[in-house]
Amino acid sequence: MEKFQRYYLSFLLLIVYTNTIAQVNCNAIEGEDCKKACELYNWASDRQGSRESQEAFDKAIGLCPTFSNAYMEKAVPYLKNGDFITWKLLIDKAVALDPKMHLGYRGWCRFQFLRDYTGTIHDLEEFKKYYPEDLGRSLNGDYNLEIIRALSYSALGEKDKAVHLIENLLASKNYFKGLFDHYQLGVTYFELGRYDKALENFEKQSKEFDFAENIYFKSKVSKIRNKDYLDLKRLALRTYDEGKIMKDVYTHHFNKVYRKQIEEL
Amino acid sequence: MKVIYFLMFFSFVLMSCQTEKNVSKYPSTVGDIEFDPKLDDADFKKCIPEKLVTLQYYQGNPGFNYRGEKLAIEEKLKKENIFSKKNITGYFTVRFIVNCDGKAGLFRGQHMDSDFKEKVLDQDLENKLLLFTKSLDGWVPKEMKGRVKIGYYQYLTYKIKNGKVSEVLP
Repeated sequence: MEKFQRYYLSFLLLIVYTNTIAQVNCNAIEGEDCKKACELYNWASDRQGSRESQEAFDKAIGLCPTFSNAYMEKAVPYLKNGDFITWKLLIDKAVALDPKMHLGYRGWCRFQFLRDYTGTIHDLEEFKKYYPEDLGRSLNGDYNLEIIRALSYSALGEKDKAVHLIENLLASKNYFKGLFDHYQLGVTYFELGRYDKALENFEKQSKEFDFAENIYFKSKVSKIRNKDYLDLKRLALRTYDEGKIMKDVYTHHFNKVYRKQIEEL
Repeated sequence: MKVIYFLMFFSFVLMSCQTEKNVSKYPSTVGDIEFDPKLDDADFKKCIPEKLVTLQYYQGNPGFNYRGEKLAIEEKLKKENIFSKKNITGYFTVRFIVNCDGKAGLFRGQHMDSDFKEKVLDQDLENKLLLFTKSLDGWVPKEMKGRVKIGYYQYLTYKIKNGKVSEVLP
């Protein structure tokens, strides 16, 4: 199977996985009331954002106040719709009840929706105490959460630390790469002015899964080095128009590049 | 006297009816915005039939539906040089509806500090950002089956660091 197809297939599998993890096996829940709460939760999760769904989560919480998933799932529509105050109140309750389960997710949401880099680092470092070997994936499946920790440091200006964290992760045994790992590492090297390392990573990214932003940065390195960059620029624009760009349903990716920026190179 | 008894009985029945009515604290969908004559432009029309304005920004056509992408908003904001003289940090979110003509209306603001607690950051800055959001005219309606234009809910969050907008989200 071609590498491009393999990467897309793994991406799709992760999406399927993340869409099904909301459902809980209620037979494994102890106590009649908590079992009922779990069933309500499963019913409500399929009707996300509706009045009936929110009311069912309330009933579930009333029946089983320690059932953290109900708080987490009730919070989701507020997050998606930009009501971050309500989201935070609810997700904090979920985290307080079961940090091992929800801290990594809250950290990811702080990064994805709010670019709260300090909060992301705080949550992921707390989460690391529970999972020192592997933080697991972001909910959309694109990144290992260690990459998100590194990108948060990068955003706060600690680029060397970000590089160190990503390099360590990529070198670790049995690591399953994310969709944009080499691109993000390449951009961080680029920002440090280490163009050899940047290009090395953009090339690796191209071999695994190429997209317009990655080609744009390759073109940028060529321009800085006074080499012909126009073919790459044209390719980046064409790739952009074909829709092979960094996509996220809810937000924009960190280090995303827009078409106009490519045009103006 | 009979009339008084009747009125007392009738009002009791009315009150009972009202208390029995189960009014939910939730809107039909989380984040729904209802027209408010004190806040909203009476000329702003939701799409007809109204049911068509049920999508959220992340449903239907994928992507951020603004001409020139989010970069166009960031560049316009930069040109307008909106900032606060106060050293404030937090977020200001404006949620609104884009109708099937691509016009935006029913704007609602939410302010919070960096701990996500409700807080007025700087009223002057918030007013300017609200006006700025209202001035954006590049919204593109979503389409169904490539023909029917559909409105949707959208939001913009301004991340504010030391009085300046550091990022525009989502």
